[in-house]
Amino acid sequence: MASVTSASERRGIPAAPFVHDVQSFLTQSSYDASTALVALQDRLQQYKLAEMKLLAQRRDLQAKIPDIKKCVEIVDTLLAKKGTGETMKVDFELAEGIYSRAQIPEADSVCLWLGANVMLEYPLEEARSLLQSNLENATASLKSIIEDMQFLRDQVTVTEVTIARVYNFDVHQRRKLRNQAKEEEES
Amino acid sequence: MQQGDGQETQVTWDDQQNINKFGRLNNKFHELEDEIKAKKDMAENLEDAGNELILTDEEEVRYLIGEVFSHMPKDDVESRLEAMKEENEAELQQLEEEKKAVLIQMAELKTILYSKFNDSINLEEE
Repeated sequence: MASVTSASERRGIPAAPFVHDVQSFLTQSSYDASTALVALQDRLQQYKLAEMKLLAQRRDLQAKIPDIKKCVEIVDTLLAKKGTGETMKVDFELAEGIYSRAQIPEADSVCLWLGANVMLEYPLEEARSLLQSNLENATASLKSIIEDMQFLRDQVTVTEVTIARVYNFDVHQRRKLRNQAKEEEES
Repeated sequence: MQQGDGQETQVTWDDQQNINKFGRLNNKFHELEDEIKAKKDMAENLEDAGNELILTDEEEVRYLIGEVFSHMPKDDVESRLEAMKEENEAELQQLEEEKKAVLIQMAELKTILYSKFNDSINLEEE
């Protein structure tokens, strides 16, 4: 049995190698316990860094999704009014905390802010399907980020357990050596 | 976990996978707790809004859609609130079920891991 099992990797995140047997792991890699610990700690740090990045991405998406949902909701409302000839009466914000009243006559189109200083007018149905696909994309990327995070978390756990095992192994070895020395002294 | 008493228990790949699974479940558990709290807050807010609606005399109330307050007949708003309440309640129930399932799985893994590692492993929250 090899002393180390490494799985694959996931989107640039390398899997943490699992050490089957600490003794042969140390012999094979020709590390002593403390250099091995340093290397493992280093690896753990890199995983933590990657985790922070993913966390930030997840936060962004989690904020974005409700925003898109709001957009879909208002376009849906306009769509529902279409063909009824009703005007929609709304209070809307002029500036922070300042509101005015507006009548929105039955509308066929809305303007979507696409970013990069561009706004484009869309028929309601098209706007709706565009927003819907944005929402689906955002939800899909959120899902894959969550999966990445789970993978990453597993690698963190593997590394932490390995660190603990190398540490324990080292403690054990030292104790053995000490006891041996004591026995030799006594005899 | 670093204060082993020097007792050596071999950790196999299966053990490692169980530990990983436990870690994942524990994370999931905390996320569920947060989501459940958010849903409960939402339920409270919807309840408050419903009560205010009963008290008001106005026939037309303002209802937030997107970023604007739309003027809407009270009855429409009432039925919208009712629908949101139901949806929220269903989601809450689902989350509670998930939480239950996660807790059961965690308990199973705890039994397995503690029986193998005794004091060498700590699976409790700090």
